[in-house]
Amino acid sequence: MEKEQTFESALENVEQILKELESGEIDLDKAIDKYTEAMKLIKFCNEKLASATEKVNKILNEDGTLTEFNVEE
Amino acid sequence: MFDVAEKYLTISSINEYIKTIFEENEFLHKVYLKGEISNFKNHTRGHLYFTLKDDASRISAIMFYNRAVTLNFTPEDGMNVLVEGRISCYPVGGTYQIYVDKMEMDGLGNLYIEYEKLKQKLAQEGLFAKEHKKPIPKYPQKIGIITASTGAAIKDILSTIKRRYPICETILFPSLVQGASAAADIVRQIKRANEFDLDVIICGRGGGSIEDLWAFNEEIVARAIYESRIPIISAVGHEIDFTIADFVADLRAPTPTGAAEMAVPTILDTLNIINEKRIRLNQTIMHKIKNMQHIVETLKNSYVLKNPMTLYELKEQKLDNILDKLNNHILEKIKTGQNKLEVVKNSYILKNPLAIYEPAKNEIKSFNMKLNNFIQHYLEQQKHQINLLINTIELKNPLTILEKGYSLVTKDANLIKNSNQIAVNDTVNIKLYEGEIIATVKEKK
Repeated sequence: MEKEQTFESALENVEQILKELESGEIDLDKAIDKYTEAMKLIKFCNEKLASATEKVNKILNEDGTLTEFNVEE
Repeated sequence: MFDVAEKYLTISSINEYIKTIFEENEFLHKVYLKGEISNFKNHTRGHLYFTLKDDASRISAIMFYNRAVTLNFTPEDGMNVLVEGRISCYPVGGTYQIYVDKMEMDGLGNLYIEYEKLKQKLAQEGLFAKEHKKPIPKYPQKIGIITASTGAAIKDILSTIKRRYPICETILFPSLVQGASAAADIVRQIKRANEFDLDVIICGRGGGSIEDLWAFNEEIVARAIYESRIPIISAVGHEIDFTIADFVADLRAPTPTGAAEMAVPTILDTLNIINEKRIRLNQTIMHKIKNMQHIVETLKNSYVLKNPMTLYELKEQKLDNILDKLNNHILEKIKTGQNKLEVVKNSYILKNPLAIYEPAKNEIKSFNMKLNNFIQHYLEQQKHQINLLINTIELKNPLTILEKGYSLVTKDANLIKNSNQIAVNDTVNIKLYEGEIIATVKEKK
């Protein structure tokens, strides 16, 4: 995970690895490496979901600043 | 009875009277009405009969043929129209009605025509084409929302996102969504939103009348959506089927809430998907390892690995086989050679060498004879030829001529045939039949 991994690309990578592994055309050493990598990605995704705190809603003001936005109830 | 006749009026006279009241009232000479057409009837003679109504009330209407031919649309029930005409009474029916001079479609109808025209134009330009639709990311991190900062739409969108996928960031680009300036404002905010690093934009408003939603049918909005770098989900009202914005957007949602649901997954679904992948991953790798173990087991239990000597024994035996074969082969070769030699040794010729010589001797003898005969014959022929030649030569030999008394004059071995060839005092040779004279030339003639 050298470059900044997004949640979506991480999940896509996991799916890619799964397809490679399921195709069966991969030797065991490589398969274990891939498995380890996929598990790391899954951990990354889970952490991303678990750690993500509720995001603040923002509004772009006329002067170009972003401030917190709350819907009037 | 007489009194009765005095007191009571005929229907005709009251209706005629009422008619005069209508006609005396200047206000009714020219009225402008807006309403919805119902009970529309196109009489065979070309006059149009219909009712104009609003929510609470109705009025009969007639449009004569000579006026009706000026219409630029075909009236039908349910159509909202603006009419101009006079109101009067029809005494025969005891009704009053509007005599329509002019009629046009109300704003709504005109808007509808505009809508259809624009829709067709943009479709032809390819703005609605599937290949221009950008994919909507499954797990957005940042969503832009273009709608009014107050009202149900923004509330619905934000609460839906919060409920489903609260880890997503949102930025509201507040925009007018109805009225004359709405379209330009929406366009401006789409452009501003494109300066941000957003995964998707939701652009819309809550339900309303077709006039309220009209900004989303404007060409500039359609083009701004088309040109947006970021995929846009349209979310306009729910009272009419589709706005132009819906056609051109990358994805169309029926309501703002629907748009938010399309824009984000739910946390729970996402966790399930991750979990499902983890399970698949574990199963796959376990399966792979088991397979490998099985292969290793099979190898370990193989007869050869368990009895390594058998490998050696097998080879030993094979070596013996090869050696045997080699021996046999060599012996075979030797035997064949011996046989051939024996055959040669026993041949007739080796045993009777003269058998070759005798026939050859006879052949040479016969050949010699033939050769001798041939030479003899040839010599005879040649001799005859030579005799013939000699006779011919004899006839032509100059010496034969000399014998007859002629002589040959030469100078320096050149035969003199002409006196020009020599000069006075030259020495010449004169050859005679017998002997030769050397003479000096005294005179030339």
